[in-house]
Amino acid sequence: MGLAERIGKAPVSELNLREMPRIESGATVRDAVQVMRQAGLGCAMVMSDDKPVGMFTEGILREAFAENPQVIDDPVTDHLAASFPKVYLDDTIDMVLSAMQVNNTRFICVVDSDENVVGLTGQKGLMEFVAEEFPRQVMVQRIGGEAVTGQREGA
Amino acid sequence: MTSSNVPPTSDQKFEDPLENYDPPNYEDPLEAALDSRAVSELQAQPCEIISADTTVADAVGQLAHLHHASLLIERDGKLVGMFTDRDLLDRVVLEYEACKDQPVSSVMTSDPVYVRETDSPAAVLAIMAVSGFRHVPVLAGDGAITGIVSPRRITEFLLEHSSPE
Repeated sequence: MGLAERIGKAPVSELNLREMPRIESGATVRDAVQVMRQAGLGCAMVMSDDKPVGMFTEGILREAFAENPQVIDDPVTDHLAASFPKVYLDDTIDMVLSAMQVNNTRFICVVDSDENVVGLTGQKGLMEFVAEEFPRQVMVQRIGGEAVTGQREGA
Repeated sequence: MTSSNVPPTSDQKFEDPLENYDPPNYEDPLEAALDSRAVSELQAQPCEIISADTTVADAVGQLAHLHHASLLIERDGKLVGMFTDRDLLDRVVLEYEACKDQPVSSVMTSDPVYVRETDSPAAVLAIMAVSGFRHVPVLAGDGAITGIVSPRRITEFLLEHSSPE
């Protein structure tokens, strides 16, 4: 099966999902930044009574912070994307691609059939999938002329 | 220099070392596109380039004003770094009073991994998958900055070439 066909048939559960950083709805933007820094990820899910109420992302942070640097002491709930793209574990991987394109985002929330948040996927997970499925061409590429010694989630 | 690098004399037949090379023949359209296209075909978005001496405060303002997630940083016309949403998150927002008047070079990602215009899209994916960079600068052969491959563009590329004809 070729790569394109695999993307169209393989389920989201085959992606290397990240643990979704979570913060409580009473937290501040500063708290969210610290959780995201610790996780090395560019988003966090804001939860209330174990239910997701919105996503806070580094893109939201950029726009709000540039307008007013004091925003870091605001309640994070003042700066949420109330609707966020999600896919189900048994959706196909091409639905992640579509969700990223339609929503112009790198972060896609993964939920199970009961709507529980089970992870995070997006650009890096997809690239890793392609690299694993097509290693002969992807993983032999020169990376900046020298071996990569570290991993970084985003830049 | 090895003997194989010695130019043939007039009575010697030139032997092309790639004479028997058969390029891969892909049935899968995405695999073919990843391997055979050039980064220049990805239409790397016009990118914003600022000087390494720009202050952190001005760089933050530029990012937000342009609604971009990354800026390329140059010194003497050469790429020396990137300033991205991740740098803002990791090194600026909680330290803003101390760093806002510093040059952006103090908080940027130095020496970013880049591709050449003639590299394949697979090279971009390798950088994104292995080293985790999500914005990949594109340089011409002479080192001039020509663009940046964004997450959006690589997503569009994957969708475009994985969809049925």
